Amino acid sequence: MSTINTENLILDAPTDAKKVLEVENLRVQYDTPRGAVRAADDVSFYLKEKEILGLVGESGCGKTTTAMAILQMVQSPGRIVGGQIRINGRNIVGIPESELRKYRWTELSLIPQGAMNSLNPVIKIKEQMADAIRAHENIKKKDLKPRILKLFNDVGLPERVYNMYPHELSGGMKQRVCIAMSIVLNPSVIIADEPTSALDVVVQRVVAQTILEVKERLGVSMIMIGHDMGLQAQMVDRVAVMYAGRLVEIGPVMKMFKNPTHPYTQLLIEAIPSIKEKKPLKVTEGLTHDLRNTPEGCIYQFRCEHVEDSCCNEPPRMYQVGIDHFVSCRHAAERARSMELLGGYHG
Amino acid sequence: MEQKKVRRWNTWDNPWLNTKFLIGISIVILVVLFGLLGRIFWNVELAYVGSSPLNLPPVWQGGVPEHPLGTESNGRDMLAQLIVAIPSSFKVGLIAASVGMTAGLVLGSLAGYFGGWVDAVIRTLADAVVTIPTLAVLIVIAAFFTMRDTTSMALILAMFAWPGPTRIVRSQVLSLRERGYIRMAVLSGERPFGLMFREMLPNMLPWIAASITGNISGAILGATSLEALGLGPTRVPSLGTIINQAQTSSALIRGMVWWWFPPILVLMIIFTSFFLITTGLDEIANPRLRGLNK
Ligand SMILES: Nc1ncnc2c1ncn2[C@@H]1O[C@H](COP(=O)(O)OP(=O)(O)O)[C@@H](O)[C@H]1O
Ligand SMILES: [Mg+2]
Repeated sequence: MSTINTENLILDAPTDAKKVLEVENLRVQYDTPRGAVRAADDVSFYLKEKEILGLVGESGCGKTTTAMAILQMVQSPGRIVGGQIRINGRNIVGIPESELRKYRWTELSLIPQGAMNSLNPVIKIKEQMADAIRAHENIKKKDLKPRILKLFNDVGLPERVYNMYPHELSGGMKQRVCIAMSIVLNPSVIIADEPTSALDVVVQRVVAQTILEVKERLGVSMIMIGHDMGLQAQMVDRVAVMYAGRLVEIGPVMKMFKNPTHPYTQLLIEAIPSIKEKKPLKVTEGLTHDLRNTPEGCIYQFRCEHVEDSCCNEPPRMYQVGIDHFVSCRHAAERARSMELLGGYHG
Repeated sequence: MEQKKVRRWNTWDNPWLNTKFLIGISIVILVVLFGLLGRIFWNVELAYVGSSPLNLPPVWQGGVPEHPLGTESNGRDMLAQLIVAIPSSFKVGLIAASVGMTAGLVLGSLAGYFGGWVDAVIRTLADAVVTIPTLAVLIVIAAFFTMRDTTSMALILAMFAWPGPTRIVRSQVLSLRERGYIRMAVLSGERPFGLMFREMLPNMLPWIAASITGNISGAILGATSLEALGLGPTRVPSLGTIINQAQTSSALIRGMVWWWFPPILVLMIIFTSFFLITTGLDEIANPRLRGLNK
């Protein structure tokens, strides 16, 4: 047991690639009349160069909040109450708006949740794209059109979209416009918030494919938010699992799917429907607690089947269980470690 | 599927083709044209005192064709008076409403955009002005200033025409700024001025149009009330001054219906059509009011 190092914090992880984005102890809360909702609580992770990190969890667990916090755009009454967000090593939490402009969209862009509401209904697509370019660059008028058409081409949009209004486009096309918008300034990090959730299954796959192509071509890093575990498995390099505002496990996608360590991750992966076998849906006892009133100790204690007394007293930290692999459950970490010592944990 | 789409964007479903709105706007255009074209076809010099015989009834009550709508006790031709009065009333309404709307746009967007104490101050002022009985204050003001021309009267009316637009713009900005596309515009670097006028303003046009028509008819009503009370500029005939003179000359008792009724009829037509425009615009802006579309 003593060989297990459970004290390694997430940011000390051994890693070869450069970290383009680091989130450290991020805490966001929404101040409501009936108490503060802790929508992101002590969230820490990093994003390596050219990597896609999946962020999964049931709705309401704080995925969008985390994404918006990274963009410094948390919707009121929310605010960032603690932590750091570093882009290429520089913290951007609390810097003035004028400084933020140097990062937003040029370094860090967003493919928003719900493309339907993310395009201004009264402005032509070409104008919306041009606005984003002109806000950051002095571009000659004659260069604007070729540049926008090139972006259309990158995301698989026909040229006629140039002169159209949003209502003339289908859902998939709107989503492509949003993808094109996110890459107008060649950012180094793109956050995609459930980019395919509102689309039907076929369009979903096609749009996901487009995102992957764009990512490959530009060499950007991405955070891919979603709750479709199947899609995540095919797209991302690492997965981060959130539960009730906290990160419960983060690790390489293959390892996570083969040997999920945290009980909640196990639940999520078991819930992936399979055609080969019919299995009863597993429903855990006990509902998620009220986010305004987080319990002492582990966040997952009400739903965990392995819950012990110690879980209810002391909150777990992030324990390292492998390369780039961390879990916020002491027992899970110990189990994983002992399996690895026995040679049973090699993915 | 494809069929349905074509149907949805059928031109007949264009919200601007709202019956009430179209009827209202056509009547207003007719009335304005009457005032503007009238001076080409009719001698407006006849609107001045002593230019015509006195107390002639309209032509269908035994008057003369030279004065088809009759004349009043100061020797003015009624038709000429109406031709001069209508544009002047519209001018007051337009000036007051546009000044009020401009102020409302600036104040409302400041309040909605910056919030905090800016919002608190502007909102309190607007609420305070709304509760003031406009006509009473106007009477007091008019009693102190002799209003020489319609423009100065319009400006005084504008002092009461800004709270409505301010409130509307403020609430629109508050609601729009949380919309996805406005947040996206902020993220992608649009500056506050562009956000307000390029991104938000076009989305609130129906509300602004409804508020501006409401304000025009409000200002016309205010101006007419003052004039009818004898507190307006008296040199140029206006709908209110005609009513005032008819009243001081006891036209009602003397049975000179052709004197007091035409300006009232014109006012009724103007207010009804503005009301139609406003409700039409309301339906355009709020699809829920539109009812089932066949
Ligand atoms: N504007 C808001 N006011 C109050 N609470 C909010 C607001 N937005 C989100 N929340 C709360 O924050 C939590 C996380 O929300 P969100 O980040 O949107 O979750 P997700 O994107 O994972 O579905 C939810 O429990 C939600 O109730
Ligand atoms: Mg979300």
